[in-house]
Amino acid sequence: MRPSPTPLRRAARQILSSSFTTIRAAAPAHRSLSSITTTSTGSDCTCGNGRTTARRPQIQSNQNPQQQQQQRSSYHSYDHPSPPASFTPVEESILSAAYLHVPAHGFTSSALVAGARDAGYLDISPTILPEGAFTLIRYHLVKQREGLAARAREVFGGEGHVGAYKLGGLSEGEIKGRVEALMWKASREQGGYWTVAGAIMAQPSYVPPSLKELALLSDEILFLAGDSSVDPSWYTKRVSLSTIYAAAELFMTNDHSPEFMDTRAFLNRRLREVNEVGGVFRNMREWVGFTATAGVNVLRSKGVRI
Amino acid sequence: MVARPALRRVAIPSSLRTSTTHLESRISRSPFSTTLQSRNNQKPNNNNSVPEYAIPDPARPTHFGFETVTEAEKRERVAGVFTSVAESYDRMNDLMSFGWHRVWKDHFVSSLNPGFTPLTAPGSSPLAPQHILDIAGGTGDIAFRMLHNAHVINGNQDVRVTISDINPAMLTVGKQRSSALPASQQAVLSFLEANAEDLTQTKPLGANQVGYSPTNGIPDESVDLYTVAFGIRNFSNIPAALREAYRVLKPGGVFACLEFSKADKHPLFNTIYKQWSFSAIPLIGQLVAGDRDSYQYLVESIEKFPSQEDFRDMIVDAGFVVGGKGYEDLTGGVAAIHKGMKPRRK
Repeated sequence: MRPSPTPLRRAARQILSSSFTTIRAAAPAHRSLSSITTTSTGSDCTCGNGRTTARRPQIQSNQNPQQQQQQRSSYHSYDHPSPPASFTPVEESILSAAYLHVPAHGFTSSALVAGARDAGYLDISPTILPEGAFTLIRYHLVKQREGLAARAREVFGGEGHVGAYKLGGLSEGEIKGRVEALMWKASREQGGYWTVAGAIMAQPSYVPPSLKELALLSDEILFLAGDSSVDPSWYTKRVSLSTIYAAAELFMTNDHSPEFMDTRAFLNRRLREVNEVGGVFRNMREWVGFTATAGVNVLRSKGVRI
Repeated sequence: MVARPALRRVAIPSSLRTSTTHLESRISRSPFSTTLQSRNNQKPNNNNSVPEYAIPDPARPTHFGFETVTEAEKRERVAGVFTSVAESYDRMNDLMSFGWHRVWKDHFVSSLNPGFTPLTAPGSSPLAPQHILDIAGGTGDIAFRMLHNAHVINGNQDVRVTISDINPAMLTVGKQRSSALPASQQAVLSFLEANAEDLTQTKPLGANQVGYSPTNGIPDESVDLYTVAFGIRNFSNIPAALREAYRVLKPGGVFACLEFSKADKHPLFNTIYKQWSFSAIPLIGQLVAGDRDSYQYLVESIEKFPSQEDFRDMIVDAGFVVGGKGYEDLTGGVAAIHKGMKPRRK
C-alpha cells in the first residue's frame, strides 16, 4: 500500500460524495460511501465517515432551498421525484387529446388538429406547439418513460418501485436480469408506434431531443433495475443500453413473430454480447496492467530509477 | 502613481456617460418601464383591467429609432417613413437581406399552415371559415402566402384574409400586387385601413373619409389567426396592440409575429450583422430609394426592439399562452417568430 496522502484522499472522497449526490438522494449517499471507503482504505473508514456526516449539515445550510431543488432535479431520488416533463397545461390538454387520435392518424398534424378540436380549441391552435408533430412523439416517449416505474412494479412485484438504494444488495446477475425484463417491457409498449415515429425522429433537427429522451430512458431502466454503480461504467452502461434499445426497436418494426419472440431473442443476444465484450475488456485491462507493472519491476531490478 | 489620477479623470466622464445613457434608456423605454410600477400598484389578477401602459396615450414618450418622441409623433413619423418607402419597399427588402426575407416569410407561413383541416378527423363538422387578420400587412407579402398555402397546398377555399395597415400608401401597393392573384383568392381578400392599437375603428381601403362612419370595427373573438410580420416594432404602443389582438382573437386563436430580433447568442456573427445593418443598409437606401433617413430609422428600430425573451413576456402579459419557450429563432436570431394562443374561457 502506498503512504496515504490524506489531502488527496480527502479530495477523492469529496469528489466521490458529490458524484453520489448527483446520482442518488442525500441519505443513501454516505451509506454507500462508507461501503466504498471500507473496501478501498480499511482503517481510515470511520474517520472518513465521521467527517462526511459532520460536513454535511454545513453544506446544506450554505445552499438555499431553490438551489437544492435545482440540483436534485438532475438525478434519481425517491424522496425528491424529478419534476414532470416540461409541458404547459395548455400543451398537455392538446397533446393528451391528440394522443388518443394517434392510432388512427399516427404522429401527424392531423392527430394534433383532431386533438385540439376535442379539447375545445381551433384548427390553428396546435401551431403554437414549437416542434409540431414531433411534440406529440416527445409526449409519447415522456409518458412511456414516466409510466415505466409503475410497470416495474408489475414486473418485479412490490419491491420494484422501491428502487436502487433499498435494494443495494442485488448481485450483478440479478441486475442484468432486471435490465432485460425492463427493456423488454419498454420496447413492447413502444413497439407499434415506432415505424411512424422513427422516420420523424431521424430528421436532423429532431435527433438531439430524441437522443436525450433515449438517454433518459436507459437511465430510468438502469435505475429501476437497481444498478447503483458510480464508476466509469456508469456511462458505458447507459450508452450500450441506448444502442441496444434503439437496435431492438428497429428490429421490432420488421418482426412478425407471435408476441415478438424474435425481438426478445434479439434483445437477449445483444445484452449477452455486451457482457462478453465487457468481460474481454476487463481481462485485457488486467493483462495490460499486470504486464506494465511487471515491466517496471524488471527495469527497477536492473537499477533503472523509476 | 501617475496612472491613478488619469484613471480618475477618465472615470468621471465615463460614469456620467453611463448615467445619462441609463436615463435615456429609461425615458425611451418608458412605456415598458412603467409596466413594473403600474403592475405593482395594480390589484392582482384583475384580468379585465387594462394596465395603464397598455392604453395608448399620444403624449407618452416612446422611441423612434434612437430618438425619444411621443407616441403621437412616432405614429406620424412612421407614417412618413412608410409612405416614402412604399414603392421601393419590396425591392429594398431583397437588397437588405439578400432575398433571405422570403425564406423567413415562407417558413413563417408554413409553420402556421393556415387552412389545414384534416377532413378525415372525426367530428370534422364544417367549422366556420378561417379568418386571418394580417396586421401591418401592407404590401401583402404574408397574406398572399397565406392564401396560397390555404387554397393551393391545403385545398381549402374556406379561408379569408384581411390585410390591415395604418398606411394607405402601403395598402395601395398591396392592392395593386393582388391583381395578379387568381380570382378565387382575390375574392376572399380585403384591405382595411386601421390602427392596430385600436381595431374598433377601421375603414376599407379607398372609402371616402367624408360621410363614412367608422363604426364597423373588427368585432371581439372573430379572428382565427392574427399575424404581424416586420411591423410590430413600428407600433407606438406595443402592449396596447397585443391587447387588441387578444380582443379580436377567438379562444384558441393564434397570435403570430415575425420580427427582427437579437442575435446576441452568436457574438461574431452579431458583429458582422450589426456592421452590415448600420453601415450598408442606410447606404443602399440612399442609392436605391433615395431616402437615407427612412432606412436609418429601420435599422435603429430593429436595435430598439425588445429581445426574444422580453417580447415573449409582453405577449404572456397580454394574456396569451405560449408553447415551449415561446419563440423560434431564425438565422441565429436575426429574426424570430413569436406565437401565442388565446386560452379558452374558463
